[in-house]
Amino acid sequence: MHNHTHTPHWDIFCAVVDNYGDIGVTWRLAKQLAKEYGLAVNLWVDDLASFGHILPALDPKCPTQTFEGVCIKHWDLPLSQDYQPGEVLIEAFACELPPEVLCKITKAHQAGDKVPVWLNLEYLSAEDWVEGCHGLPSLQRSGLKKQFYFPGFTDKTGGLICESDLLATRQRWQESEQRLNYFTQLGLSGIAADDTVISLFSYETASLEALCQHWSQGKQQVHLLVPIGRSLNSLATFIDPQQDLAPGQRFCHGKLAIHLLPMTDQQGYDRLLWSCDVNIVRGEDSFLRAQWAAKPFIWHIYPQEEDYHLIKLEAFMALYCHNLAPEVADAWKALNIGFNQGSQEALLPLWQQVITAHAALTQHAQKWPDEAINDADLATRLVQFVKNS
Amino acid sequence: MKTAHEIRPGNVIMLDGSPWVVQKTETTRSGRNAAIVKMKLKNLLQDSSTETTFKGEDKMEDIILDRLDCTYSYFADPMYVFMDAEYNQYDVEADNLGDAAAYIVDGMEEQCQVTFYEGKAISVELPTTVVREVTYTEPSARGDTSGKVMKPATIAGGATLSVADFVKTGDMIEIDTRTHEFKKRA
Repeated sequence: MHNHTHTPHWDIFCAVVDNYGDIGVTWRLAKQLAKEYGLAVNLWVDDLASFGHILPALDPKCPTQTFEGVCIKHWDLPLSQDYQPGEVLIEAFACELPPEVLCKITKAHQAGDKVPVWLNLEYLSAEDWVEGCHGLPSLQRSGLKKQFYFPGFTDKTGGLICESDLLATRQRWQESEQRLNYFTQLGLSGIAADDTVISLFSYETASLEALCQHWSQGKQQVHLLVPIGRSLNSLATFIDPQQDLAPGQRFCHGKLAIHLLPMTDQQGYDRLLWSCDVNIVRGEDSFLRAQWAAKPFIWHIYPQEEDYHLIKLEAFMALYCHNLAPEVADAWKALNIGFNQGSQEALLPLWQQVITAHAALTQHAQKWPDEAINDADLATRLVQFVKNS
Repeated sequence: MKTAHEIRPGNVIMLDGSPWVVQKTETTRSGRNAAIVKMKLKNLLQDSSTETTFKGEDKMEDIILDRLDCTYSYFADPMYVFMDAEYNQYDVEADNLGDAAAYIVDGMEEQCQVTFYEGKAISVELPTTVVREVTYTEPSARGDTSGKVMKPATIAGGATLSVADFVKTGDMIEIDTRTHEFKKRA
């Protein structure tokens, strides 16, 4: 065995794809590993400007900076900062590691030095096959061994990201009735205690226009809280896409008020989800946070070729609904499928059924987090996985 | 070089300095359309098996070994016996056929490729497409003719797969042996 300069830090590499999803997950994981496990974590990110949307204090021009115990490094091409192999090397969501990193660990392997536990942190899916692939090695031509780490909802998968104090903090927040104050803090006005408040963070879908028409013509006052982004592309009937938009603006149509949200950090987004009656979320990070919010939600899943995303949606819904009253489960599932298929008129009676069953869905949503987490969250399982590797 | 997505049962790939015969492949989809390929591999030097996972785009060295066009002859447990055009017989262990075994039936006429490593027949690669009889499937429930509604079916040899709702027991169907997917009615 050669002497080596191996240090016990972890490196996580994240290529930003759609602004908030991949970086949202890796940032949460890095923070939790640093805070709850005392690990030295380097988070390498290729797009610091996008990262800055969820970490406003970040300086996009600074190559190395530390927040919440995590050393954030700019992943540029070629890699201008030195990479030193640590205890763990994570490529998030199958991103291609920089050649400089691969070269360094390959040389270390060839020299007989200790190399990091190399993991590909995959996307979250509730499909059955995940259990059979989680933790499997991926043999490399170089002789290095990479392992696939799959998040998931069962005890045979890698678990779900959930900070140790999150659910208790959320419960305290919801019991303390802080939501109206929080809306005011966000610069939102005119929201009363009995109004229905819906957060919206989705991709484009024709369903939004139909739902907004429905809400505008209803009896109940509805507030739709939307960040400036892709969802607005589907709301052109209600908000002129040509006009200058700014957080805090409000657009009223009958009983519907659409509010433009300011960007918040991740804690702020969690609070928003905790405060709304229904959350419409997308992708992976907000999808999971909506589950921890313990409120009814609609999941706009990332669209895939040949409608494969619907298989993933069905797999999750089957798990989520397995002990939910059949009539409520059927309505909720049909609403989610319809929303993902861009249904319009057909969606409206489903929405009404779901709102009618809001109390039952909320009760179910409150029980779900403990069931989904099983015995341990993702970070806990990941640390144990590394110890066993 | 091939991508993991292109590798088929029967191929031999070089990993970590050893030749591995691919016994089984299973492709699934992760997020954002990325493919994940799970493989069952057998190490030809150590006679050991392992399961492993790759990204669909991972590149791997597909070793070109000696191959011969053969037809299936008979099964002599635990060996499948194949024969070349000159009537030479080659025994291949059932384990090494992996998923391909599901499509081996008596009387099949499709040309298979038997692969040799150090003079020993080690694997068999089927044609990309085979035609097999559906031995059982439930009658069409919805009368769907679009081919989008699927149902399970058992084919000659005992394998099961999803077929279009309009397929009936007794139909001959084309199957993609790489993906184990129904292609069309033959």
